[in-house]
Amino acid sequence: MSIPDYMQCAEDHQTVLVVVQPVGIVPEDEFFRIYKRIASVAQVSIRDSQRNLYIRYRHHYLPENNEWGDFQTHRKVVGLISVTTCGSAKEWPQTSDRFHSQKDVFGATLYDSRLLVFGLQGEIAEQQRTDVAFYSSYDVCPDVEKRVEDFVESIFIVLESKRLDRATDKSGDKIPLLCVPFEKKDFVGLDTDSRHYKKRCQGRMRKHVGDLCLQAGMLQDALVHYHMAVELLRSVNDFLWLGAALEGLCSASVIFHYPGGTAGKAAGRKPSLAQGQGQAADAGKRHRPGALTANGISADTSSEIGRAKNCLRPEDIIEKYKEAISYYGKYKNAGVIELEACVKAVRVLAIQKRAMEASEFLQNAVYINLGQLSEEEKIQRYSILSELYDLIGFHRKSAFFKRVAAMQCVAPTIPEPGWRACYKLLLETLPGYSLCLDPKDFSKGTHRGWAAVQVRLLHELVYASRRMGNPGLSVRHLSFLLQTMLDLLSDQEKKEVTQSLENYTSKCPGGMEVITLPDGLKLPPVPLSKLPIVRSVKLLDLPVSLRPHKQKGLLENNMSTKSPFIYSPIIMHTRGEERNKKIEFRWVQGDVCEVQLMVYNPMPFELRVEHMGLLTSGVEFESLPAGLSLPAESGLYPVTLVGVPRTAGNINVNGYHTSVFGVTSDCLLEGLPSVRTSGCMVEVIPSLPRLQLSTSLPRSAHPLQHSKEELSSSVSVQLFNGETQQLTITLENIGSEDLETLEVTSKTCNTKEKLFGEFLSWDLEEAVSQLPLKPGQSVTLTVNIKVRLDFSGGENLLQDLNDDGISVTGLPSSSPLRQVLKPRAETKPLGSESSKTDYNHVKTLEAVMTFKYSGGAGKVEGYYRDLTLGVHVDVEPSVFFTRVSTLPATRTRQCHLLLDVFNSTEHELTVSANNNQDLVLHASECQRMAIQVAKFDFDTLPQPDQEAVRYTNPKLLEEERLHTQASMINSTLGITWNIPSVRRQGEASVEGVLNQLVLEHLQLAPLQWDVVVNGKPCDCDIIADCKVGDAVPLEVKLTNRSKNAVGPFALTVVPFQDYQNGVKNYDLQDAVTFIGSNTFNIDTVNPTEDSVCMGALLFLYTGDFYLNIKFQDDNAGQGNEVPPSWFGLPSIHIKALEAPIEAGA
Amino acid sequence: MEHTQSRDACWHSRHHSKMAVCIAVIAKENYPLYIRSVPVQNELKFHYTVHTSLDVVEEKISAVGKAMADQRELYLGLLYPTEDYKVYGYVTNSKVKFVIVVDSSNTSLRDNEIRSMFRKLHNSFTDVMCNPFYNPGDTIQSKAFDSMVSAMMVQAS
Repeated sequence: MSIPDYMQCAEDHQTVLVVVQPVGIVPEDEFFRIYKRIASVAQVSIRDSQRNLYIRYRHHYLPENNEWGDFQTHRKVVGLISVTTCGSAKEWPQTSDRFHSQKDVFGATLYDSRLLVFGLQGEIAEQQRTDVAFYSSYDVCPDVEKRVEDFVESIFIVLESKRLDRATDKSGDKIPLLCVPFEKKDFVGLDTDSRHYKKRCQGRMRKHVGDLCLQAGMLQDALVHYHMAVELLRSVNDFLWLGAALEGLCSASVIFHYPGGTAGKAAGRKPSLAQGQGQAADAGKRHRPGALTANGISADTSSEIGRAKNCLRPEDIIEKYKEAISYYGKYKNAGVIELEACVKAVRVLAIQKRAMEASEFLQNAVYINLGQLSEEEKIQRYSILSELYDLIGFHRKSAFFKRVAAMQCVAPTIPEPGWRACYKLLLETLPGYSLCLDPKDFSKGTHRGWAAVQVRLLHELVYASRRMGNPGLSVRHLSFLLQTMLDLLSDQEKKEVTQSLENYTSKCPGGMEVITLPDGLKLPPVPLSKLPIVRSVKLLDLPVSLRPHKQKGLLENNMSTKSPFIYSPIIMHTRGEERNKKIEFRWVQGDVCEVQLMVYNPMPFELRVEHMGLLTSGVEFESLPAGLSLPAESGLYPVTLVGVPRTAGNINVNGYHTSVFGVTSDCLLEGLPSVRTSGCMVEVIPSLPRLQLSTSLPRSAHPLQHSKEELSSSVSVQLFNGETQQLTITLENIGSEDLETLEVTSKTCNTKEKLFGEFLSWDLEEAVSQLPLKPGQSVTLTVNIKVRLDFSGGENLLQDLNDDGISVTGLPSSSPLRQVLKPRAETKPLGSESSKTDYNHVKTLEAVMTFKYSGGAGKVEGYYRDLTLGVHVDVEPSVFFTRVSTLPATRTRQCHLLLDVFNSTEHELTVSANNNQDLVLHASECQRMAIQVAKFDFDTLPQPDQEAVRYTNPKLLEEERLHTQASMINSTLGITWNIPSVRRQGEASVEGVLNQLVLEHLQLAPLQWDVVVNGKPCDCDIIADCKVGDAVPLEVKLTNRSKNAVGPFALTVVPFQDYQNGVKNYDLQDAVTFIGSNTFNIDTVNPTEDSVCMGALLFLYTGDFYLNIKFQDDNAGQGNEVPPSWFGLPSIHIKALEAPIEAGA
Repeated sequence: MEHTQSRDACWHSRHHSKMAVCIAVIAKENYPLYIRSVPVQNELKFHYTVHTSLDVVEEKISAVGKAMADQRELYLGLLYPTEDYKVYGYVTNSKVKFVIVVDSSNTSLRDNEIRSMFRKLHNSFTDVMCNPFYNPGDTIQSKAFDSMVSAMMVQAS
């Protein structure tokens, strides 16, 4: 007896052992099918007695163990069922012989036997035999169970007879000495008549009868016999059998107390058996011997006698087990019995939940020496220890022994190491080391566990799976090791692990599929999210020029926030929500989109990451993977992953994909709480066309100074003030959609400079007529850049102007100053050097042109794109007007504008104006030019509409008005300059230098006076002819253009003669007489009306006469209402001629 | 003088040391906060020993009824003997476990001495926990604790 049956449990003592074996050639699967059916008959209720017989089946049993059958009867093979295939009647005799020889193996102990013959038909099969059953095939054998039951009953009859035979075997006859195999030689030559010897015989027999009673279902009888045996054997110090009697006592008590059985989960390996036992246990409970049944007192009469006395209390059972085991321990050859007793006791303790004591039993079991164990036995022993530890809840200890068993499977002494078994056992140890092969469990923070032990275990798993010839598993375990234990590995280990990982992946690349092991265990994929470690994920907006914008009118309601409050200081979102938060910007279908990851390499060597790409959902997305190489223990390193969304909708960036050391990983962000992100959901809008912009001017390197927005591109150019430059812009459709709409706007950047006229102007008509623009086509647009800035230096100069003595007065001078071409520059040099540089400095002017375009599906959705072009112009001063003044012209409707022109360039320059001769200016020369201009009627200018007036600041409105007036003046003047040497030309603007005073002078008075002499309208420089002696009709017409009624006025006409030498003669009573009054009265004139007053003159002599029309201030009180400049009445020059003689004659 | 003494100590350390061969501090959640053993080359073996001893510790703690938890003695006594070592346990009220492994051959070591070792260990551990820069649950890296443990251990000869 060398091989322990670790599966034994206390209730096995009540079973009878039946061996089921194949005879001859029986297909294994067929045999086990039959075996299972046989084994299902694990408990048989015996007719008429209400007792149960429990059967334990074995298909393999050592005859050697059978020899211990007298010691413990449940070890004795009492039944044999042979299963055989017999094809023909010819084979039958041979088969029968074989059956008989097999019976001989267990020979003496057998109570009965059966032979199940399959396949035989015909004469032989028809004979009725109790010990042989014939079946035509393995599939047609409906009454196997019935047969087995009959067989069991026949065993019971033999058992019962033996029991009765032995039990009634009273003294008188000589009781044989039962002994175990190793004792036999000890008793040779012993005095068989001694009292001691007889007692020994009695005690042993009692014990044996107890066993038989237990098997026959007479539990209480058995207890009684065991007690007697214990007493007898104790008195003769027959320790081995005393132990057996004690154990029998324990077994019987256990069966009584725990009808559910003690095998527990451990028996799960043999499901049919366990099931059978389970049923048996249930049945046992129902028909417990001694229980009251419907039929009254059960057949087991012994049960009423001293039940309480004989049966051990649960807490005493272990004491007896301990005692029994200590007795077994005295015999080296009873090691197996001792070990099995330990196992049985542990199972009982497990039921009693006394783990500490159970562990002591196990500890003892570990030290039981069974002599030389084969490797297989060692493995079995360690695994059973592990199972038992597991049973009592010592999972760590269980794992420890399981690991030892695993190592034993591949011990160097084994010629053919069982790597597969080793691997399987190692896997079973995982829970004991609180290791779960799902990497998700490790993502919750720093690793906490028995790292050293776990790393070791993983290494062993890797090695075992490699030796098993499954590199895929090795890769999976190595990736797991690398992923979860990275922080705990030393640099050297990191190197080694990655190196071996690379070796394995060269044979079997690692992937993201779940590996299912043959026993159903699933190994989840291990994404290597720590190689490299990603710190943040940020979705990037498209470049400025490609960003889509939503049409304003189509803006959806943005107020759909969850909270009813416009603002709340409570931040409602959690981190998780933040990830799902939609990002403000949008991506466009078909355009390359970018996501920036901040990564770092935790390895002490360079890390090569291949095929790093994005994982997305929601939209068809073409990821464009990148490869990167991170230096050893790099700091944060930005990596940009790109891809192209192929459809529109909401895209969610779920994670990223890498390939490191041959392991491809899909790292999902939801599994990586340490990754910072500002949202991963972004809207992809339908595709839009894409424009590329190129210009005829060179690109400027530096961005605009005043513009905060990002610009697609910008150009820069240097111009003289007033110059115009053409800029040709070519727009090419480089996208895949038709360009359908194009709008161009421009915005001058907020410069302090006062700008006159339109800076940028263009005509879009032609370009628009070419739309829609197919991909690859281009369109051009010409933009005029015109710079007109005020370089005059603002108020200082105007101040100067006003203080100047020669300034203007509104009153007409006596003589017309045709030209004042005084060289001003010489007379009054322009201040100091510093002021000169003031005039010289270069001013910049910047504007942003925006090209708004759209097309394709995106246009339908209301999206467009912007292309911005920054225009930067350095403006150098050309000419400017340092001074401006007016002089009245000879005509009241005209005046002279005197401009001091300064050439601030370094070139010779020509200035010309409309209807005026050119003026040549040398560098830094200042000259005065006079231009005669008709006064302006500003009322004809378009009035700003009422709506605008209402909402605009009055000051702005005033400025606006001034500006339009000035530009009108400017366009009328049309002053241009030309630098022949560099072939540059441009306009010179007076707008900046015009002040209110000058404007007033240039403006037509609201009261318009028309004087008609002799039917001829007169003005200063028109000489009206008349004849002496003729009445000259004089008509004065007042047209009121002002807003208020004016008048009444009284006008006095004063004639005089100018001698052109400064002397004026007013004493002309003799020469001129008035017909009627020399005073005219004009009544009140309402706005827009006119009034005419008539008079007449009579010249008495020939000569040149002037008429001065003066106001007689009638209404002194109200005179202030009307400014004097409004009374710009022309002086009338009348030449009185000699009346023609003929006429007079 | 000192030289000879220290050499004597070395000489006796293998057999007559009153010292531990392995000392471990285990967190409430049963992962090691600190583990140190003297034959450094066989560290893993002690990891296994301490790890498996936790089964017994847990069993001993759960054996004491919850109502009795307050009166429970912190010292758990001998957890289990192996062929070469004896494993002793101690559990603080916050369920932090201390495990001391001593050589089985070391028969001179009395229960009282083991108790006092645990008490010292507990005091030093309390000091570690009082450090405001220590995060409960992290592995112990305190030098003071380390040197105290060293003093209790067999000097590797």
